[in-house]
Amino acid sequence: MKKLLLTLAAVCLLGAAARAERKEVHILSVNDMHAKIENMPQLAAIADSLRGLYPDLLIISAGDNRTGEPLNDLYEIPAYPMVILMNMIGFDATTMGNHEFDSGAEGLGKLMHMSGFDYICANLDPAPAFGIYPRPTEIFDVNGVKVGFVGAVEVNDRMTPDTHPDNVKGLSFKPVLETVQQYKWLRDVCDVVIFLSHIGYDADVEISKDLPWVDVIIGGHSHTAIDGGEMHNNVMITQVVNRLVNATHTTITVDNGKVVGRKAEIINVADFPKKNVVVQEVVDYFSNNPAFQRVLATLTAPMTSYEQLGCMMTDAWRVETGSDIGVTNTGGVRYDYLPAGPFTVSDVLRLDPFGNDTVQMEMTGQELKDFLISISRNDTYGFPKVSGIICNVTMDKKDPEKVKDVKITWPDGSKFDLKKTYKVVTNSYSAAIADSPRKDQGRNLNRTTASIIQEYLEHKGTIDYTGVCNVFETVSKR
Amino acid sequence: MKVTVNRTTVELFEGARSQHAVLRYLVHRRMGAAKLHQGRIYDAYGHEIGLDAPLREGQIIKFRITK
Repeated sequence: MKKLLLTLAAVCLLGAAARAERKEVHILSVNDMHAKIENMPQLAAIADSLRGLYPDLLIISAGDNRTGEPLNDLYEIPAYPMVILMNMIGFDATTMGNHEFDSGAEGLGKLMHMSGFDYICANLDPAPAFGIYPRPTEIFDVNGVKVGFVGAVEVNDRMTPDTHPDNVKGLSFKPVLETVQQYKWLRDVCDVVIFLSHIGYDADVEISKDLPWVDVIIGGHSHTAIDGGEMHNNVMITQVVNRLVNATHTTITVDNGKVVGRKAEIINVADFPKKNVVVQEVVDYFSNNPAFQRVLATLTAPMTSYEQLGCMMTDAWRVETGSDIGVTNTGGVRYDYLPAGPFTVSDVLRLDPFGNDTVQMEMTGQELKDFLISISRNDTYGFPKVSGIICNVTMDKKDPEKVKDVKITWPDGSKFDLKKTYKVVTNSYSAAIADSPRKDQGRNLNRTTASIIQEYLEHKGTIDYTGVCNVFETVSKR
Repeated sequence: MKVTVNRTTVELFEGARSQHAVLRYLVHRRMGAAKLHQGRIYDAYGHEIGLDAPLREGQIIKFRITK
């Protein structure tokens, strides 16, 4: 009897020991936040709540923390607000997104220096000249469980992330798969291995075939809404849309050094009922940023029409991008009056508030003519505003909304050659809605049109558009 | 860059986003660009994607009007 009791006690003790070896790793992850700073107080409250339950919670971003919100992107140190808010929330790590490079290598180096979290990106080489020292991997000790991360950013055919080429000057990138495979040794030294990816959902699914040594891919870039986690090739992939609508809470169960369970659930951030009040105070501070009243140029006379403001916008894009002609849909010019005096950052953001990208394309004169008519047809605000050319537009007498013909000349009145090829710059909306045939659809310069207007105004110092008009409309006689 | 929206192939500038593909699709179908904000965009797997999701050559997306 005594022997039996001792055996039972031993079995119970062994069972308890085995249970003690079963541990959980909790990760709160986001991707493509794109500087949605007004949702950071809710994210902070979620992090606080989860940390109350799981003190070793890891908070991770799969990149593209910045770009998309002028309050952040146009700060004196661009993207500084997001870094400060991520520090406050207690982020442990991020990978590089292609937009992390949007203020150039120098800008990124400054931000990394201010960040209280790691930048894990194996396929970006360190660039000491800019103070850029990404970590290829990082191993976190989560309550005795070793959680290894390897990170990577997407690279295009030019072997750079999708950003303006000037932004990655002096930086060197490597292919994703070959690079990540070099860190397979993480499996030998960690209980859990995570690929922190900014390569997009399709690529995550594809690469999962080659990464059987990875347990979870925390993904970003494609703004894909995955409902929790999805299993592909025995790797769990997570990603939430973008702009902090949701976050993912991943639970990984480890038993005696082996992953025995993986699950992920979505937490709605945008509608989360609680906010961290301290983070909210900081968001309010950034939202009342006096930098938005910064004077870029002085208007010596008031601007009094959509035409004048449209001419100024397209002049800015044409001059600053070295193009021959600038074009905007008229709906892209958001006000028609600005008094003489200071032209501020805020005035630019009200004038061009959509976050449009700048697109440059090469067009023959005929293609340009068709392009302008196509924008006019598909934008309900009429014929576009232009720079570098004069357009005499004849509207149809029977249908005054319809363009019957356009005659293009140079500003000095000389003949415009419809067969020659020109460099044309426009916004991404106009490039998308104009479905006229053309050989070159163009390329995104990865700069917002508003940022180019700011640059132009700063270069000019003073501007006067009195009497400027590039589009003249008449109605056909028949 | 060619992208397919609801089985219609549209050609767009390099670096276009999902909203640009849908805008081109909408004007091509004469539905009006304003419809962009009355629907949702999904990838080939059926996952919803954001309006500013980056696109790659040959990508297939779907646009469903929901309002």
